[in-house]
Amino acid sequence: MESSLLLQQIVNGIILGSVYSLIALGLTMIFGVMKISNFAHGDYSMVGAYVAVFLMAWLPGWLGWVGSILAAAAVVGVLGVVTERLVFRPLLTRWTDIDIIMVSIGLFILLENLAHLVFGATPRMLKDPFGGAVFDLGLFSTSQLRVFCLVFSCVAIAVLQLFLNRSRLGVAIRATSQNRFAAQLMGININTVYTLTFSLGAALAGVGGVLYGTLFAISPVMGAIPTQKAFVVTIMGGMGHMRGAILGGFILGVAETLGGNYLSMAYKNAIGFMILILVLLLRPSGLFGRRQ
Amino acid sequence: MEILRTKDLTKNFGGLCAVDKISFSLYAGEIVGLIGPNGAGKTTLINLLSGFFPPSSGRIVFEEQDVTGFKAHQLNELGVARTFQVVRVFNKLTVLENVLSAQVDRRQMGPWELVRRAILPPRGEHQRYQKECEAAERLLEFVGIAQYRDEPAENLPYALSKRLEIARALATNPTLLLLDEPSSGLNPRELDDQITIIKRINQQGISILIIEHVMKVIMNISHRLIVLQYGEKIAEGLPQEVYSDPQVVEAYLGGDAHAQH
Amino acid sequence: MDARSWRAIAPWAGLAALVVLPLVLRDRYLVHLLVMAGIFVILSSSWNLLAGYTGQLNLGHAAFYGIGAYTSALLAIKLGISPWLGLVLGGLVAACFGLLLGVPALRLSGPYLAITTIGFAEILRLVAMNWVDLTRGSLGLYGIPPLTPIPLPGGKSLTFTSEVSAYYVILVLCLLSLACCRRLVNSDFGISARSLRDDEMAAASVGIDVNAYKLAIFMLSAFFAGLAGAFFAHYQRLVSPDTLSTAETFTILTMVMLGGLGTLTGPVVGAVVLTFLAEGLRFVEDWVKMDVRLIIYGLLLILTILFMRGGMVGLFDRFRRPAAQPGRE
Ligand SMILES: Nc1ncnc2c1ncn2[C@@H]1O[C@H](COP(=O)(O)OP(=O)(O)O)[C@@H](O)[C@H]1O
Ligand SMILES: [Mg+2]
Repeated sequence: MESSLLLQQIVNGIILGSVYSLIALGLTMIFGVMKISNFAHGDYSMVGAYVAVFLMAWLPGWLGWVGSILAAAAVVGVLGVVTERLVFRPLLTRWTDIDIIMVSIGLFILLENLAHLVFGATPRMLKDPFGGAVFDLGLFSTSQLRVFCLVFSCVAIAVLQLFLNRSRLGVAIRATSQNRFAAQLMGININTVYTLTFSLGAALAGVGGVLYGTLFAISPVMGAIPTQKAFVVTIMGGMGHMRGAILGGFILGVAETLGGNYLSMAYKNAIGFMILILVLLLRPSGLFGRRQ
Repeated sequence: MEILRTKDLTKNFGGLCAVDKISFSLYAGEIVGLIGPNGAGKTTLINLLSGFFPPSSGRIVFEEQDVTGFKAHQLNELGVARTFQVVRVFNKLTVLENVLSAQVDRRQMGPWELVRRAILPPRGEHQRYQKECEAAERLLEFVGIAQYRDEPAENLPYALSKRLEIARALATNPTLLLLDEPSSGLNPRELDDQITIIKRINQQGISILIIEHVMKVIMNISHRLIVLQYGEKIAEGLPQEVYSDPQVVEAYLGGDAHAQH
Repeated sequence: MDARSWRAIAPWAGLAALVVLPLVLRDRYLVHLLVMAGIFVILSSSWNLLAGYTGQLNLGHAAFYGIGAYTSALLAIKLGISPWLGLVLGGLVAACFGLLLGVPALRLSGPYLAITTIGFAEILRLVAMNWVDLTRGSLGLYGIPPLTPIPLPGGKSLTFTSEVSAYYVILVLCLLSLACCRRLVNSDFGISARSLRDDEMAAASVGIDVNAYKLAIFMLSAFFAGLAGAFFAHYQRLVSPDTLSTAETFTILTMVMLGGLGTLTGPVVGAVVLTFLAEGLRFVEDWVKMDVRLIIYGLLLILTILFMRGGMVGLFDRFRRPAAQPGRE
């Protein structure tokens, strides 16, 4: 096996993983704060990707790119608030795991098929603002778009960390995630935190969706895959743990790319689930979660 | 006759030693009170004795058999029944069904046997069911909630749901009953009823280990007391002796907070 | 007649109605829909056993359905095993997989169990897609023989190629599986099974081996799904990896929630209503020229959970005895 090929695969894996991390971060945040397992999470990515499809048709090149990401964050953030208010909030006082999961499955079916109605079934690709330019480092090469993708997710993850650790709202979110009641006692307005968290979590998935769209085709049914990956990553990292989700994303990305190349392309999508089952059997609280 | 013996029973939660090298014996027909301040490890001890946690170290011997590491359902089958500090009745089942759930003869039944039973009714099932219903109703009468037999258990007032828990535990035919604060949250009248019930259970020959904060109850019914503090057994003996033990007064009654109610 | 004798007669009257129904309908397509509804009655009832009575959310139920279908179809095609035997074997193989999934599922709950079961079905779907030598991949298995004719005295035989004959077979299978579900819920076994949904710890404290019960129900649930799948294979005579898809599971769970989770009649009502609603919507789709069927499924699922807890059966109960809330002391 050529080592440069291996290196190439690892780089591809890291790029893919950065996107997984971004999407999974949104899921894990929402779970950590609200204990909602949202099986429609990947559909926020789908909507984000379509926002990019339409915006890039309007705005060419660079502008379209940056605009798409901002617009995806905004549109999906609003969609997140709407779905949270209409679908999840009414259940929060009398929730059971089953209700929450079921209602999110309903939302998944609804969003997927609405998208099918509105956008049609034809898969779309995002235009490459770099015109397919390649970044060649000798040992491996990768398109500039992918490098941008990686850089952007890393920046987004870093900004999110800063926000959560430094800003007052971010600290409120983390406090609520650790102990809802204590946070309430400290005078944190729980409803604001919920709305903000959900919207932020959805927006992360939306932005992740744009990046995902640079790697894969965009279609109304694409949402199921990011949902599955985000859950695998989230559980791998320990539900509700941000750092775990970030690392988990990269691990899954690399494992999938390597597995897809060296083991079996056909079973690439099964790799995540295999890891999931191993993790659940060996370390149920996640690779990075605290042991119980 | 000794029915329960523990030797150096220990339970650690991470760094915390909730139950620390406790050894004691319990004899047939006894009511033993288990007291100690909040967080002393009383509930944890009952959880160990009823198989909800495996002990970190130490042994449990029940009726001459080493039952260390047995699961909750296995211990129940051997004759250990319990109630919970915070009531855990089956909310969606009726009061009668709550007691019936405990009566099914399911000794040694693995998944295969259960599947077979689900598909093919065993012979005489109907008659047995009738008998179990009658027995269950007698238990409901015994604790005084027979008139609620067909209500969902979640509709029972708190005091009565505590009694339902006792009836359910009795339905498993225990030789040892572990009661975790059976009278917490009861008003004085309910308290008297509860004491009567516990005494009558004991008169049937069932040994009882009871966690209790209410002084009146503990002095009234227990033959012997065991005092825990920070997971350790600090005293054991007749109620009067224990209450005059300076170490106990210091540790447990010093603040006088618990002793009052 | 008084209420008591009505209650004694009603089931027999209902059964008689079900028996004559296809003869009255005289429409092959409608009978076909009834057959499909029957398959979904078994699927949703068996899913409900697990979710409704033990609280375990299995999102891979379609996998058992697919396993049953592939097992019976392959046995018939490759080994020439009688489809009648195939029905049972399909169920049994599914039950074995139920055991396989049930063991790790004992330790999982909520989202953990949900995603693990999705993964289980997804992996099996990939196997069905990619093990082309055995399954013909995404083309699916075709040319599956129908249920073999049963010879009758007098030289004639009973064939099972028509919709009507399939209807009677699925009717029997439905009744069998519903009878089993009913036993599971109403017998002494069932009381213990329902108790675990409320409180596993308390159940263990009264001697119920929680894991044994969960495994038993997991296997039964898988068995019936496999049985339905095997029947489907010989009825449709075509099985593709789509039978294993998560979308199929989502249809099942929509039926159960719509009908009423954790009730005996709910899944039956949900399966029948949704099967015929889907057909009705097909006309609507032709009319508005849009795919609205699944959108309505999604909406139904959301609205049921938000506003109609207990599903249609719960709604009906509320109408029948409006002040059923017993007073507190
Ligand atoms: N499942 C558990 N995990 C971790 N710590 C526990 C657990 N159960 C009890 N503890 C701890 O063990 C100690 C003893 O608790 P407990 O037995 O409930 O006390 P008591 O019943 O005497 O009030 C407490 O400090 C409690 O926090
Ligand atoms: Mg306690």
